[in-house]
Order: sequence, then structure tokens, then C-alpha cells
Amino acid sequence: MGLFLLSHHKFFVILSSLNLRIIKRIVKFIHLPKRFYFLANCLLSLFLMSEFTSAQEVNPLAADSRAARAGGSIFRAQCATCHGADAKGIQSIEAPDLTLMFTRSESTDASVFQVIREGIPGSIMPPHAFPDAEIWMLVSYLRSVAIAGTSAQIDGDPRRGMTLFNLNCSRCHRVDNLGGSLGPDLSTITNRRSQGALTNSIRNPSAVIARRYKPVTLVTEDNGRIQGTVKSEDAFSIQIMDSNQVLRGFRKSSLQEVIHEEISLMPSFTESVLSGDDIDDVLRFLQSAR
Amino acid sequence: MKTTLKSNFCIAGVIWLLSASAFSQSIEGPSFEDLLAGFSDPSRWLTYSGDYSGTRHSPLTQISPTNVEELRPVWTFQSGTTTRGRGWETTPLLDDGVLYVTGSNNLAWALDARTGRSFWQYRRNLPDDLTYGASAPVNRGFGMLGNQLFMVTLDAHLMSFDRRTGEVLWERELADYQIGYSATMAPLIVGNKVIVGISGGEYQTRGFIDAFDPVSGERIWRFNTIPGPGEPGSETWPNDPQILAQGGGGTWMNGSYDPDLNLIYWGVGNPNPDYYDENRPGDNLYTDSIVALDANTGELRWHYQFTPHDVNDWDSNHMPVLANIDWEGEPRRVVMVGNRNGFFYVLDRVTGEFLLGEPFTATTWAREIGDDGRPIIVNDGSLGCLPDPWGSTNFYPPTFFPGLDLFILTARETCATYVPELPANTRGQSNFGGTVFIDAEQGYGALRALDIHTGDLEWEFTYPSPTFGGVMSTASGLVFAGDHEGNFMAFSAATGENLWHYQTGTRIWGAAAITYMLDGLQYVLIPSGTTLTAFATRMP
Repeated sequence: MGLFLLSHHKFFVILSSLNLRIIKRIVKFIHLPKRFYFLANCLLSLFLMSEFTSAQEVNPLAADSRAARAGGSIFRAQCATCHGADAKGIQSIEAPDLTLMFTRSESTDASVFQVIREGIPGSIMPPHAFPDAEIWMLVSYLRSVAIAGTSAQIDGDPRRGMTLFNLNCSRCHRVDNLGGSLGPDLSTITNRRSQGALTNSIRNPSAVIARRYKPVTLVTEDNGRIQGTVKSEDAFSIQIMDSNQVLRGFRKSSLQEVIHEEISLMPSFTESVLSGDDIDDVLRFLQSAR
Repeated sequence: MKTTLKSNFCIAGVIWLLSASAFSQSIEGPSFEDLLAGFSDPSRWLTYSGDYSGTRHSPLTQISPTNVEELRPVWTFQSGTTTRGRGWETTPLLDDGVLYVTGSNNLAWALDARTGRSFWQYRRNLPDDLTYGASAPVNRGFGMLGNQLFMVTLDAHLMSFDRRTGEVLWERELADYQIGYSATMAPLIVGNKVIVGISGGEYQTRGFIDAFDPVSGERIWRFNTIPGPGEPGSETWPNDPQILAQGGGGTWMNGSYDPDLNLIYWGVGNPNPDYYDENRPGDNLYTDSIVALDANTGELRWHYQFTPHDVNDWDSNHMPVLANIDWEGEPRRVVMVGNRNGFFYVLDRVTGEFLLGEPFTATTWAREIGDDGRPIIVNDGSLGCLPDPWGSTNFYPPTFFPGLDLFILTARETCATYVPELPANTRGQSNFGGTVFIDAEQGYGALRALDIHTGDLEWEFTYPSPTFGGVMSTASGLVFAGDHEGNFMAFSAATGENLWHYQTGTRIWGAAAITYMLDGLQYVLIPSGTTLTAFATRMP
């Protein structure tokens, strides 16, 4: 107990002075001899501190460079069956992509620790009885594979970028509640995509198309063609957002053909439309908007 | 000792009252003779497959290709429970208008088959340190004999219930769940024995098939799927008792039974560790095999191993499908299996003789089985991707349609790369021994009908994603199947044309339909998520 008090002495001193007032008030009603004040004080402090230290907020292994590698071994042995060997998730069982965890859902070390330890009731994620240290290793590993996004400040003019964005992008893309819904919302995109990847998406949008924005052309019975993005599909039906940004569901029996396209609905912005500097301005605008 | 005439009458009267025949069947519950009768009483579904053959082929014809488009939901039972991911894999049993159904987390119900309303519910207090049972909290159904129901649990127990109340009559531990054991399969009743299998092949377990006395709960025999040191089959493992003690070989699906041969047929699962094989050279019998056991003693009559020395987690826990067919001009008693390794097999079920092995998927792993019955492996993974660990098909039932000689199953086309890694081998922790990279973009599923004499594909219906739904057929020429997007569907058995479908709202996972007559109306019933829906061509 002595060592414990020494290591937390500052906290203890602060608590002690508070406690003394609490204890004095309590003992007015209970006739406790004064010699028990110190003991009562210690116990109360220990109780209060234990409430804080049992729910550790920060990864105690954060500074240990070996932790992420050890965590990777544990991850591959225990977690990869559901979350994928690369932690990017397995869709068919709805096990999420963990590389987006720290940016998209704003998880913390402590919240990730808790999910691993306790699981998510009602879901496929079970609790785990690993020792605490091993769970912190997993947290270190997950930090190490987390998508970093665009960390460095982009060299561009955000106001010019906003003008360019409104002119070229906002019909389909939303930022901070302004813009369209045909393409993904870009309000926090620089949190999870690098500058190079985003530049490539603008120059060559068909190279990588996000999961819920896969292009499709539906040929109707009267030979009409409807373009859109696929939100959901099964053997007998397909649910899309059409190019007018309207949600529409179709029975396949009412369609002549369902064509899954390779070319994105997003146009490709070549150098003549948007220069390299233009793109930097747009990305700087997106970065400052988050 | 002298007895009076009166006391003789009394004794005779008591004996008469005690004899089973004095009571009507519905009060007594189904006997072994009733189970043997299988589908001949169409108001019943008394065992996981409907009958002992595993063909899941009902003789009912009221629902036919001409009226199947009239099928509509009659009632839905929503259990009000949640489940981890997978959804109900169960087959309800039906007797005398009452459905007996198990759900996830060892919940169970007796339901009115006319309305889906509940008579009773059972819930087990499971320990909070389950191992394998935590990640796969499923159950595939009851066994039923007389007024008793039998269910295995996630903490590896076998339980017996009174089917009228859900009251527990007895329970027995099958194995220590803390090591990694669980139990999920629907027990098989054969004679006066309750036959069960075990889960846990991803942990340091050793598989077995047990037979229990239904009344006393005493174990009658055990067959170990991993031989002990010095036992037959042990020469296919290293000479190390510790390796054998955790060889895997789970037996986590129902089996089939031939009453004339008195043999039960059972599938065996993967060796442990699944992907890392450096410590287990050899074929690793009897993992990834089908075994034929004497039902009285549990002794092994014959075995056939589908995937010797498995490194891809291709458990062979499939329904053995028994049929008497013509084979090359001669009548033959066969067992047919659609295997996780992508091959369709026909074996002689008397001797285990290999008759046919043909791929039913695009797998590059192997394309033919040699004359010695062993797969000729052309791609061990170094020449491109292989079927993923969940396999080209899995435990969910196939069906055999005798008039058309078609074996119809749910197939998965997947693309995976396996990376073995030395596992930690910690007691109570899963022990796959590596990881698998799955290319989801290349995956899809299909309902496939195979000619049983050649393995040729007669027809298929493709699904957008690799599917885990089972199949049932009826003599009127229909095939019922479920897919990963929640569609419950009816197809023409002859052509594969889709004739009807209903969106149940969530994936149909591991379950196959049952069908029965009730009040002159034929019903089809399917679990989906944690829900049961009954369909008929008109409202009752």
C-alpha cells in the first residue's frame, strides 16, 4: 500500500484534503474516534482512485515498439477469421473494417480495449478473456494499421478550393451538409484517404470505386436506360440511387438487363479541367472543412 | 406361491396398461418404429433430415410446379431473441401439430404448428466463459423419442427434456467446454440410443461420437475420431500422444442410418491446427472423412477420407445421403456426399468402395480423384487461390431427387490464399494456425443439380454471394432453397427454373426447409434470422 500511495501521491494528497472534510461531516453523525480518521481517509482515497485506475484511459504499451508486432500475431490468430487477415473486415458476416475505426467512429484506446474485452452483445463479436497486456498489444497493432488519412497540411488555397469544389464537385458530393448525394460525403475524407489516393480518385475515378457507389445501368422493358449506383442487390431485385439522386427499387423480372459497369459515374478530371494546383486547392479546402 | 384368479387378472391388467400399445401414439410420442417409417406419415417430421436416408426428399405433392406461385406466408414466429451473426441453423421437429425447435444460445420452444404460438420456452443459463460456444452460439435441432426431446449445448452437455413441458429430465457432460469443446448438432435417435457429436476442431480437442441411453442418460459407447497411440489409424499421425490428444476431428453434424445394415454414417471435421501442419505429418485419420459405425457398438466398419492431411479447414461434416440406385447396370447401395473440398462423391455404403469423385466447382485444388481414392492435388495454393475455409459447400443439407437422379446442393465459388503460422496452442483459445485472405470480389454462390452417375452439372441458379442455405425437394418436382440475401425460393427440380421466391428479410444461414400436411394443407417452413415462417398455397 505504501508503494501505491507513493506512486499516486499527488492525487492522494488532493483527495485526502477533500476526504477529510467529507469524513468530518459523516462522523458528526457516527461517533467515530478521531484516531480512525486517517484510516477512513486512506480507504476512501483508495476507493475513489481505484474507480479511475481500473478503467485505464491510455494504452500502457503505447511507447513499446514491440507491442504492435506482438498484437499483430495475436490478431492473426484470434481475430482475422472474422475481421480479415488485413483487418479490413469480411462483408458477408458484417465484421467491420478495423482500419477505419480510429477515424470514422472516433474510437479511443480505452473504448477499443473495452470492445475486445466485453464483446458487443447481440452481435457476432464475442468477449475475450485474454490478459490485459495482450489486449493492449492488440490496441497497439490496430493503431499501427489504422488509416492515417492526410496527415500533413496540404499546400493549397482553401478558399479557391471551395470555389472549385462548388463548381465541379458539389452536384454529387456533400461537404458539411452542402452538396449532392450521388457520390460519397467528403466532409471528413482527408481523415481516411491520403493526398495521393484522393488525387488519383479525381484524375482516375474508375480505378477504385467505393462499395456503395458501384455503377450500374438498368435496361427497362421499353429499352430505356437508367444509370445509378447500387445500394443493395439480390437474386431477384436491385436497389439503386439513380443519376437524379432518387432512390429506386426494381424487381429484376421487370428489367431486360442489369449491367454492372466498369466506368464510374464520376467524370475523370484531366489536367485541362483541373490542374495539379487546382486539385491541391480543392483538397486543402476539404482538409480545412473537417 | 399360490395365486388367485382375481390377482392373476389384476396382474394381467397392470401389464396390459403398462404396455405401449395400450396408449394412442400421440400421447406416447414417436417410437423408433415411427422414426423408421420416415415420411410415410406426412404430418410428422421426426428427425433432422425427415428420415434416416438424409435425402430430404418429401413424398408430398399438394404444392406443385403449377400452384407453387400461390405460396404465401401463413404465420411468422419471431423468437424475440438475438443471435451472433449466423442466424438459426435449426430444423424444427413436428409431431401431432406441435413444432419443437431449438434456437441460438440454447433457447428452445414448443410451438403450435397451426399458428406459430408458443406452448413453452426453455432457456439455459450458460456459463460466461464459453470457448467455441461463444463465437458460434448455434444449435441445429432436437432429437425426439417418445415423450423425450434431446438437445446438446454450447457448454458441451447433452440434455433430455419432457416434450410436453420443456422440463429437464437429465443432463450429462459430453466434454469440458473450457478446453474448447462445444456441441451444436441435432442428435440422431437410433433404436434405443441417442447419438451425438462434438464441436471444437479449432481448439485443442479430440473428436468423438457418443451413444447414450435415453432413459438413464448413461453413455453406452464412444467412437474416437482421432485414434489413440498404437490404435488403427494412429500410423497416419506422428508418434506423439500429445498431438493425438488434440487432433481435432469434430463430429458436429447429424448423421444418416441404414437399418438393414445397422450402420450409422457420420462426417468428421478438420485436423488441429487447421492451417499449420508441420507438427502433424501424415494423412491424419479420421479427419475429413466419412465413417460407417456399427450402431450397436460404435465400432468402425469402414471409412473414406475425402481430404487427407487437410490444411484448408475443409471439415467433412456433411449429411451422408443414402440411396439405392443403379450403378453401371447393377443395383447398388450408395452414400453420396457433396464435400467442402469441392468434389461430389459416390461411395458404396456397404463396403466404402469409391465409385465416383467429380468436382462441382471451379476449384483448382484438384480436378480428379485417383484410382486409389485419393485426390490428385494440382494446386496447393502456390498456383493461385483456393476455395476459402468455409468451403465449396458446407454442413447445410443437400437433397437427392430419385426420379431425376439429381443431387442438388448449395455451392460456393470463392478465392482465398492461406498463410500458415505456428499457433500459440493455448488451452481454451482458438488454434487455427494461420490466416486466410479472402477475395470477396470474386465470390458467388449457386444452387447446383448434379447427375449422380457422372457428377455433371445439369442446371444451376446463381446467387450474388457465397450462400449458406440448405436444400429440400418434394416429389411433385420442386426444390426449395434459401440464399444469403434472405430469399426463400422454389425451383423446378427438372430445369432449375425459379418458380417462386419470398424475401424473408435476412440471410438464410445453414437451415433447410421442412414440409408437412396439417388439416389437409401442405406447409413449407423455413428459419431465417431468429424467425420461422410457414407457407401454404392458401390461408387455412
